[in-house]
Amino acid sequence: MLSKSFKIVEPKRFDLYIEDINCSNTEAIVKIENAAVCKADIRYYLGKRDERTLGLKYPMNLLHEAVGTIIEDKSGKFKVGTKVTLVPNLILNRCDKECIHKVCNKKELGENYCPHAKFASSNYNGFSKEFVSYPVTNIIKIPQSLDLSVMVFSELISVACSAYRRVELKGDETIGIWGDGVLGYILSSVFKFLHPNGKIIAVGKHKDKLLKFSCYKTFLSGDHEIRNSFIDVGFECVGGNFTGSAINEIINSIKIGGKIILTGVSENEVEINTRKILEKGLSFYGVTRSNVDDFKLAIELFNNELFYSNIKKMILSENRVTNIVDFYKVFEMECENKQLGKNIMKFLF
Amino acid sequence: MNIGVILAGGVGSRMGIIDKPKQFIDVYGKPVIIYVLETFDNHPDIDHIAIVCLKEWVEDIKILIRKYELNKVRWIIEGGATRQESVHNAVENLQQYCSNEDILIIHDSVRPLVSHRIITDNIREATKHGAVDTVISTSDTIVKSVNNTTISEIPKRSELYSGQTPQSFKFYLIKQSHEHAVKNSIENSTDDCQLVLKFGYPVNLVMGEKLNFKITSFDDLLLLKAIIKMGKTEMV
Repeated sequence: MLSKSFKIVEPKRFDLYIEDINCSNTEAIVKIENAAVCKADIRYYLGKRDERTLGLKYPMNLLHEAVGTIIEDKSGKFKVGTKVTLVPNLILNRCDKECIHKVCNKKELGENYCPHAKFASSNYNGFSKEFVSYPVTNIIKIPQSLDLSVMVFSELISVACSAYRRVELKGDETIGIWGDGVLGYILSSVFKFLHPNGKIIAVGKHKDKLLKFSCYKTFLSGDHEIRNSFIDVGFECVGGNFTGSAINEIINSIKIGGKIILTGVSENEVEINTRKILEKGLSFYGVTRSNVDDFKLAIELFNNELFYSNIKKMILSENRVTNIVDFYKVFEMECENKQLGKNIMKFLF
Repeated sequence: MNIGVILAGGVGSRMGIIDKPKQFIDVYGKPVIIYVLETFDNHPDIDHIAIVCLKEWVEDIKILIRKYELNKVRWIIEGGATRQESVHNAVENLQQYCSNEDILIIHDSVRPLVSHRIITDNIREATKHGAVDTVISTSDTIVKSVNNTTISEIPKRSELYSGQTPQSFKFYLIKQSHEHAVKNSIENSTDDCQLVLKFGYPVNLVMGEKLNFKITSFDDLLLLKAIIKMGKTEMV
C-alpha cells in the first residue's frame, strides 16, 4: 500500500516521499500514531555530523521513538488494531557461527552492540512515515488503554533499563546520575523502581529542572558535598560539549572501585582525568540503545501508576502533524527546547 | 457499516490504450486499482468493499483480489454505460445488505494516492452531515468561456474548489437521490454530489489533497510513476 513519508535530504530540509509498503510473512504493517524527536535526530536535521557521514545517510527517515497501531500482520502474532511500540535496534541476522563478534548472545552486551545491527534513523530508515512494514520480532504490544503520547517514552525508558542491566548491581548501591535533561530524569524514574533499596542522587546545572526529579537528593554541579554521598555507580547523561566536565566530576566524586556508565553522545573527543581513574581503580561502561527485552521491561514499568504519572510530566506539548509544514515546526520547537520534556507529534497525515 | 465503493467501470478511452482500462495498468509491479484497494482494505473503519467493474473484467478482478490477499472485498458489481448508471447499479445491489444510516464511500479506481486521512474524514463528516464531497482549493485562476474563444467570466477564486473523490453518503440519501434522478430523467451525471444537490440536500466539504489526483492521461500516469519510483530510494 502507498504511504507518505518525510525524509531528511539535506540539513534543515525534509521532502515528501510516497512509498509502496509491502508486508512479508515475518512483518506487520504499523500505522505510526505518535512520535518524539531525539537529540540524534536533531543532529541529522541540523547537519551536525561530518559531511561524509551525512552524504551516506541522506535521504533518510528520522525518528526512532514511536508508537502505532497494527493494521496488517501476516505472521499472525498481532491482531489488527493492537497498539504497539517499535524497537529501533534491528538484527536482521542474529549471531551465527561465522560472526567474529559474537556479542548477540551475551546477556550483558546483547545485539545492540553487534556491528551488524541496524538502527532506525541512523543506518536504517526511521519512523517519520504514515505506515511502516516492520519485523514482528521488533514490535512490542503496549497497554491498550494508556495515552500513546506517554508510551512514546518507552524507547528512552528501555535505554534506562539497558543501562541498568549493563552494570549488574546488587541492589543497595548509591547511584549518581549526572544530567538534568530528559534522559537523566527518566533514568532516575526507572531506577527508583528497579533499584528500590539504593539511594538515587541527581546532579545537574539547573535547579528548576532538578526540582522535578523525584530522587533521594539533588545537587548542582560543582557542589563539594557530592563526594560525601559515597556514590558507587555514576551515570553520565549529559552528552555534547559538557560531557568531559561531567565525566571528570563523576571521577572526582565517586567511591574507590566505582563504576561509571556513559550514555551521552559527544561528537568531539573528550579529555578525562585518567590519573584519577587509575588511582581509584574505576571501571567504565558504554551504553546506548536497547534491545527487545529492555523494551518489555520498560512496558512492565508503565503498569505502576506513579511511574506512569512521572513519565507523563515529560510531555511539554502534543502537536498535530497533518503535513510536512507541521513536521518542520516540531523539529524547530525541539531545536529551541530548553525545558525538561519533549514536544510530542501526533501523526494525522 | 462503512462500505467503500470502488468505481472501476471506465474503459480509459482518453489514454489511447486498447488492451486494458487504465485502472488495470501496471505501475511498478501493481495495477493502479490495487493501490486503491489496499488503502481501503487496510483502513480500520472500512467494513466491506464493493467493486463496480465491467463484466469482461470481473474475472481479472477476482484474480487480483486473490493475488494481493485483499480481505474486505465482498461484492463485485457489474458497471453501467455511464458513471451514474454504475453507482446506481451499486446502490441497487447493496440495498439488501445496507441500512439507511450505513455510509457508502464512493471512490474512483484511478485515484491511487487517496490517503487514510481523507477516508477517515469522509466517514466522520458523512456520518454527521449525510453527504460529503472531497475537494481541494484551486491555486490557478479559473476562467469561464462560453464560446471557447473569449473569457466570459472570471469567478472569485476563493469560492472555487476542485472536486475529487471519495464522495460519501448515508445509504438512504444516495439511494433516494438516484431514484429522484431516474424519475426526473437526469442522466449521465458525472458526479453523485450533483444528484444529491438536485434532490435538495446539502453536501458538506472534506479537504482532499493535490496528490489525490485522477489518472486520466499519460501525463498523470507519468507523474504517478515518478512519485512511486522516488519512494523506492533505498539506503545502502
